[in-house]
Amino acid sequence: MIRIENLHVEIDGKEILKGLDLTLEPGKVHAIMGPNGSGKSTLSYVLAGHESYTVTAGSVSYEGKNLLDMEPEERAALGVFLAFQYPVEIPGVQMSNFLRTAVNAVRRLRDEQELDALAFLKLAREKMKALGVQEDMLKRPVNVGASGGEKKRNEVLQMAMLEPRFAVLDETDSGLDIDALKIVAEGVNQLRNPERTFLVITHYQRLLDYIRPDIVHVLAQGRIVKTGGPELAQQLEAEGYAAFTGEQAA
Amino acid sequence: MRFPKKKRYLPETADMFRYAPRDDIAPWLATAGKAAFDRFAAVGLPSSRLERWKFSNIATILKKYSADPLVYDAVSSDPHVRQGQADAQEAWVRELVDALPPNHEKYGDMALWDLNTASIQDVMVVDIPEDMIVKDPIRLDFAGKDGAFLPARLIIRLGARAQLAVIEHHEGQGAYWRNHVTRIVLGEGARLDHYRIQNDSPAALHLQMTAIDLAARAAYHGFTLTEGASFARHQAEAVLQGAQAHVAFNGINLLKDRQHSDTTLEAEHRAPSCTSSQLLRSVVDDQARGVFQGKVYVDRVAQKTDGYQLSNALLLSEGAEMDTKPELEIYADDVKCSHGATTGQLDSEPLFYLRSRGLSEQEARHLLIEAFVGEVVDQLADESVKTLVTERLARWLKR
Ligand SMILES: Nc1ncnc2c1ncn2[C@@H]1O[C@H](COP(=O)(O)OP(=O)(O)OP(=O)(O)O)[C@@H](O)[C@H]1O
Ligand SMILES: [Mg+2]
Repeated sequence: MIRIENLHVEIDGKEILKGLDLTLEPGKVHAIMGPNGSGKSTLSYVLAGHESYTVTAGSVSYEGKNLLDMEPEERAALGVFLAFQYPVEIPGVQMSNFLRTAVNAVRRLRDEQELDALAFLKLAREKMKALGVQEDMLKRPVNVGASGGEKKRNEVLQMAMLEPRFAVLDETDSGLDIDALKIVAEGVNQLRNPERTFLVITHYQRLLDYIRPDIVHVLAQGRIVKTGGPELAQQLEAEGYAAFTGEQAA
Repeated sequence: MRFPKKKRYLPETADMFRYAPRDDIAPWLATAGKAAFDRFAAVGLPSSRLERWKFSNIATILKKYSADPLVYDAVSSDPHVRQGQADAQEAWVRELVDALPPNHEKYGDMALWDLNTASIQDVMVVDIPEDMIVKDPIRLDFAGKDGAFLPARLIIRLGARAQLAVIEHHEGQGAYWRNHVTRIVLGEGARLDHYRIQNDSPAALHLQMTAIDLAARAAYHGFTLTEGASFARHQAEAVLQGAQAHVAFNGINLLKDRQHSDTTLEAEHRAPSCTSSQLLRSVVDDQARGVFQGKVYVDRVAQKTDGYQLSNALLLSEGAEMDTKPELEIYADDVKCSHGATTGQLDSEPLFYLRSRGLSEQEARHLLIEAFVGEVVDQLADESVKTLVTERLARWLKR
């Protein structure tokens, strides 16, 4: 269970989230939709622990713990995962080295046995195959020279390897071709279980056709302004956000 | 001791040294040594008024010692350097010892070279005949011990088409002063891989000059790992005498505490169609200071020169510093030369990305630092050196 209350967040002195309330339930897929610049990525960065964002008020409780007090790696160990809207390129750091370090860091913190090189490779190959990630990805530097779609698949691969309890997918669908979208959605669906919570940020109904959300929220101007069932996404697709941004302005 | 400003040399410092040759050395060496000593004594050590010593003020270093005025016998006392074959090939050893480094006239800052010549009792010589390809690298250990003055001279000559790899390993305990000279002469089409692992004691003063002459199509691949010494300076000069010769100076600086490390390089293109590159990656922590002065000189006749210089520094703390001075001096019109320098900190976005995947801040930083120097490590041709450098880096990071 993740409970976000009255969250106010600033970056460089500019307030982006303005009293956001949101409760996410275990085992459920929540979707967030909202206009460009409304604060969706800001929310996901704050949940993952990016230090450029300043929380000026409010709280985030994650399985009863105060998430905002934790370092990014502590959150990761407790099962928080963010698939970045813009995955970061890291020249010189080989994907396999990075991923194995990450998997073992998280396993260590979860009191699980670390994977040796062989066990890691076996697991990685299995997941890569399922997600249609090129084999040579492991030898390449993290995200360097990868296409937009490859980067997104790479995020989902990392998610599959790290087995989070709470995964935030920030526009993971953008940049994916139709086939890749299905594969990635399938990857997410396979991870769905009664303990895992997903927060899927997207602009398009199309993704939600493959990853059926339980609950849909609208984020506009730094707040959750509407919550509903899957039909809300269809309504937005048809009508746009004018109603919500208008309401706010009024 | 007080050092008046604005002087190019510090004559007072000559008093720190005494010419004291061993009895059993060859007369010609004694004569050459005395002449060199006199030249040195007339000027003293270089001051930071000299362009090439701009960032490395030896006077401030000497002040550390001045409370306890040491007099160094200008004599080699280190048995490790007594391995040469000087007797067998005395004539050419003599020639090479006598030979001035290529830039002597031009810069006039060769006091340390003279001091080295004054002090050599034993010359270490590696002489590889034409067409000989030596498979395994030769490792030469230069040890240091407390209180010593270490004026070693290493001479490496490769005949035409010969190939060799040499690893100079500098290590030691206590406070000592190394004034090392490596003289390299490469015949046509020869290739030398020259690795320097500078891991001198934290109290040591490490000074080295490397002077390289290259004939046509010869290739020099130099690499230095600078990790040790409180004050280190490596001045390397390559003169590309024949067409299509190639020089690469690569280096990694791992600096901490109050270390000072100066890398001063010059590729002097005196023939057409030669290439040279200089690539230095510095990781500077605490109050340490790195210096890179790189120069590419292109003579009138050296058309189609390709010269490249790049220094990248990663500053890990507020007090860390990197000074860079890239320089081009070009007299030919058809050349391709570039230089660049960057100094910065670890990027926050990759750090956050890695940490969001569960890596601790330290693990993430280490991975990014390894990546930063990785490009230079990857270029190391010798696997044993690559392993050594990787291990040393890991140890440095974990310190
Ligand atoms: N460093 C910054 N300084 C000032 N404003 C910023 C900074 N970073 C982001 N913003 C602003 O914060 C607002 C919210 O950005 P955010 O990335 O959270 O939007 P989003 O909802 O994810 O948009 P999109 O749908 O385009 O991805 C935007 O107006 C953006 O310009
Ligand atoms: Mg966004």
